[in-house]
Amino acid sequence: MRTDEDRVWVGTNQGLALLENGKWKVYTEADGLAHRSVLALDVSPITGDLWVATMSGLNRFSAGKFTTYTQFNSGLANDVIYSVICDGKDVWVATGGGAGMLDTYTGKWAIYTEQNAPMHEPWTYSICAGGGNIYIAAWGGGVIEWNKAKKEFRDYIDPDGEMEIDLFPDDGVVHDITTAVTYDDDILWVATYFGLSRYDGKRWKGYFDHDSGLASNFINYIKANGEVAWMCTDNGLSSFNGETWITYKNLGTDQSGQVIVNGKSPKENILKASSSLSHNFTIGVDFKDNDIWVATSHGLSHGVVVGQTEVKTSKL
Amino acid sequence: MAIDTCVGCSYQHGGQCPIQGKNYGNTPDEVVPYANFQNAYKKHFLIPMEFLGSGREKPEPKGLETVRIGFLGPLEGSKDTPKGKQMYQGALLAIEQVNAKGGYKGTPFELMPHNDVGLWGAAANEVVAMDDEGVWAILGSINDIVTHVAIRVALKCEIPVINIGDPDPTLTETNIPWVIRVISDDRQSSYALSSRIYKKDGHKRVSLLRVNNRYGRVGTGEFKDASTRMGFPVAVELRFEDGDKDFTDQINKIKTNNSDAIVLWGDAKEMGLIVNQIRAKGLQHPIYACDRAVTPEFMRVAGKNANGIITTAQFNPRADNPSLKNFQKAYKERFKMEPDVFASHAYDGTNITIQAIQKAGLNRTLIRDLLTDNSTFQNYKGVTGEIIFDGTWNDVGQIFLVEIKNDDFQFAPVVLVEPKLSGSIK
Repeated sequence: MRTDEDRVWVGTNQGLALLENGKWKVYTEADGLAHRSVLALDVSPITGDLWVATMSGLNRFSAGKFTTYTQFNSGLANDVIYSVICDGKDVWVATGGGAGMLDTYTGKWAIYTEQNAPMHEPWTYSICAGGGNIYIAAWGGGVIEWNKAKKEFRDYIDPDGEMEIDLFPDDGVVHDITTAVTYDDDILWVATYFGLSRYDGKRWKGYFDHDSGLASNFINYIKANGEVAWMCTDNGLSSFNGETWITYKNLGTDQSGQVIVNGKSPKENILKASSSLSHNFTIGVDFKDNDIWVATSHGLSHGVVVGQTEVKTSKL
Repeated sequence: MAIDTCVGCSYQHGGQCPIQGKNYGNTPDEVVPYANFQNAYKKHFLIPMEFLGSGREKPEPKGLETVRIGFLGPLEGSKDTPKGKQMYQGALLAIEQVNAKGGYKGTPFELMPHNDVGLWGAAANEVVAMDDEGVWAILGSINDIVTHVAIRVALKCEIPVINIGDPDPTLTETNIPWVIRVISDDRQSSYALSSRIYKKDGHKRVSLLRVNNRYGRVGTGEFKDASTRMGFPVAVELRFEDGDKDFTDQINKIKTNNSDAIVLWGDAKEMGLIVNQIRAKGLQHPIYACDRAVTPEFMRVAGKNANGIITTAQFNPRADNPSLKNFQKAYKERFKMEPDVFASHAYDGTNITIQAIQKAGLNRTLIRDLLTDNSTFQNYKGVTGEIIFDGTWNDVGQIFLVEIKNDDFQFAPVVLVEPKLSGSIK
């Protein structure tokens, strides 16, 4: 899901939806969408084009028309694309067969797999840009960092080398199976299905649902907005600025919700909310000024950030 | 009578909890990672993942001509094609048998085969195609690369996956709440082999010769860790390529490194050739091998040199099990060949899938819920024996040590030697 000026683009498993001026429009394969299942979106800051990651190819939506890139007509590593980002003129994708970069000026692709990058396997899940680097969440390979200036890779993995444990929470990423990465305010945040990691360039810090306010260790998506990271988990939406945790939950019975401040700590404070997310299984989040949009497994939610600890939400 | 929710695993399984109080994956206490000096801050996989997303409310579609089940396996263009063919036939037999009894409320089940060619990423596209076909669950595959890619896409598509042939321990260590496995993995094989090699047979310096691919790397990972933690780190690890025929260099290195036993990890043909060349060079080391030695192909290639080799097997094809015998008879009548390990586990996995669909209805999330509730199919008694799921829905049921004697396989249930605490492995 991605905000773009006054528009909100939403990827669903039945097409690409656009909310504009209060009206919905849905684009499908009949319109040129590569596949009905849309997994990720980004908007080019240079051209304003929308890039659409689908389960069967990459789309560029420009001037009302879709252009499709597949592994058969381009340098795309694989047609199942989990993540797409625009980094200046470059478009980066994370696919089931490796990461890729399209230079939109030259039209040339670069592919990064276990053959030329420090990945055990070329199973990539998420990509972000920040601090002069590209970060790739590699399934089973931790985080791969691409230094754009030096054109060098390095990796960040869980030092204990074991899948079934995390020996120390602050010694690196909490698990090698990483699901999402985001970077802002000089902080790299790494989501996994086993917990959350935060890296300030010098030190790693790990967080779990038993020792922090994180709603669940199963994190589908993460996005940093300034100093605050927003974690879309399977059991609510959590935010964290390095000090304060806030989790938003739907209570399931009616429109009401719950705001949990600093959960699992002596400072825990549970507040009632008159509105809430449409579902606790959250899968995407984006921001526009004070507006926050949250994709869930049962609809899209819109909220307005009122203060540091309050978001008023409405279901769509 | 209502069954209480278990405080150990949060499921309503009744009776003794299959998970609570045990190390993950039946790991013996002495080989728990870092256990000798540090308790892990966080232990994963002890409590099964729940799926908290939506989907259970979707109504059952009407007017379907068939109830589709996806199948992903090496059916052509792969060296694993013979295994894939057996796996497909095992699944097909289960489908045909249930259709003869009325299928799903009178609608026949239909197997939707998709080829896995063992290439990076190719399986991703196949799973998307199965999603488009409207399958209710997916069976497969054998190749670890293929299956890993497949389950990630299945997670996004929210399709239950029943793995019936991939022994990669990491497959179910991904916390994807849509995957179960009905065949034991290389973790269990490694514990059985290491216990036998170091504790019963008293070896101290093992040479490991493995295939240079992901199957070899990940498959031997647990064996190497167990060896180190038992106090006998693998003396030397040597590799060969799939399809190699000459292993002189590796055997010469083993000859000079003072090892007292050899462990082989690869496919049947290469392991058979290695055994022959080891003996031809006069080496009399005891040889242990991974479960792919339990095949007619290995016996054919290794000949008399196969005698004395010890390996493991995920099930005992000669067990006194009426359902196994019935299956073997029906399979042979239908396909004019003996079922192998992949056919047998495919048969069990398909039957579990069919029963889950029949009970849950045509709703992927509800089918998933049933497959993973640690109650409905816990202790399922199939043709391959009793299936016991751990916290990752991985089958940690009884496996077997196999000794080759008089040109034949001798199966014996694995009992780990001298566990420090009772109850860690049975």
